[in-house]
Amino acid sequence: MAAAEGLAEGTFERAFAFIGAGGHHAGRDYFGGYCCYNDVVIAIAHLRATRGVRRFAILDTDAHHGDGTRDLTEGDPEVLHVCICGTSFTSPDGTKVDVPLPEALWRGTGDPDTLYLETAGAAFAPRARAFRPDLTVWYFGFDGHRGDYGDMGLSARCFLGLADLACRIADEASGGRLLTVLGGGSRTDLATTLIPPIIARLGEA
Amino acid sequence: MKRVGIFYHKSFSQRSYLTVGRRLAEFPGALGPLLRDPAFRLLPSPEAPDEWVLRVHDPRLIPAVEADPL
Repeated sequence: MAAAEGLAEGTFERAFAFIGAGGHHAGRDYFGGYCCYNDVVIAIAHLRATRGVRRFAILDTDAHHGDGTRDLTEGDPEVLHVCICGTSFTSPDGTKVDVPLPEALWRGTGDPDTLYLETAGAAFAPRARAFRPDLTVWYFGFDGHRGDYGDMGLSARCFLGLADLACRIADEASGGRLLTVLGGGSRTDLATTLIPPIIARLGEA
Repeated sequence: MKRVGIFYHKSFSQRSYLTVGRRLAEFPGALGPLLRDPAFRLLPSPEAPDEWVLRVHDPRLIPAVEADPL
């Protein structure tokens, strides 16, 4: 909530929110998957009520589907939720989208970083530009990194590329305002080596 | 260069629900070099009041989370 407030007030253009527990698996009346309360949707409710900010575009690149975020934003045409996961879905109004990763990534026949970045960019960039959000939100999990519990064979290059994508879309569509919320990922060594350069990229890009 | 707010609470490094461990054990120290640049500010992550949690979640969720053994 504090990070979202700072963005709405113009104190900074980018925010990175560390977490103690995950958020995107927490729905209206359930929680699980290492998530307790839906931090992103609580921040959205707070900004709407206190700052009059209405439209949000969420890119969810955690390794698993953001089912709680979807549950809480279903039927809300002013939230674009694009989830890169294992299913294929588009709501009738086009604001709730699940995009599966290409088969080649699972078969190991292509470069995972390139395949992931191409998929995320094609899924999110045109939709977010057309949607014109007031705030762009990147739900950043590193659980898809090689060796973590959602292993997709990804490396730091992919996550830095996703940071660039989120920054670019924020600059083009939401006045530069980008809220990055940490999601899944379990390894201390990965957190320690990935997160600082990601935050640095938020400031540079 | 953009101004970046980094929101953190020391409890995040002491225990992580995600890992039942300490995935953020090296923070905020790992941000040291970054924080020498005034564009990056480390700020406290305050607790969200129940009032705001309840605008999104069913009231039964809070006691259920508090009772979770993890």
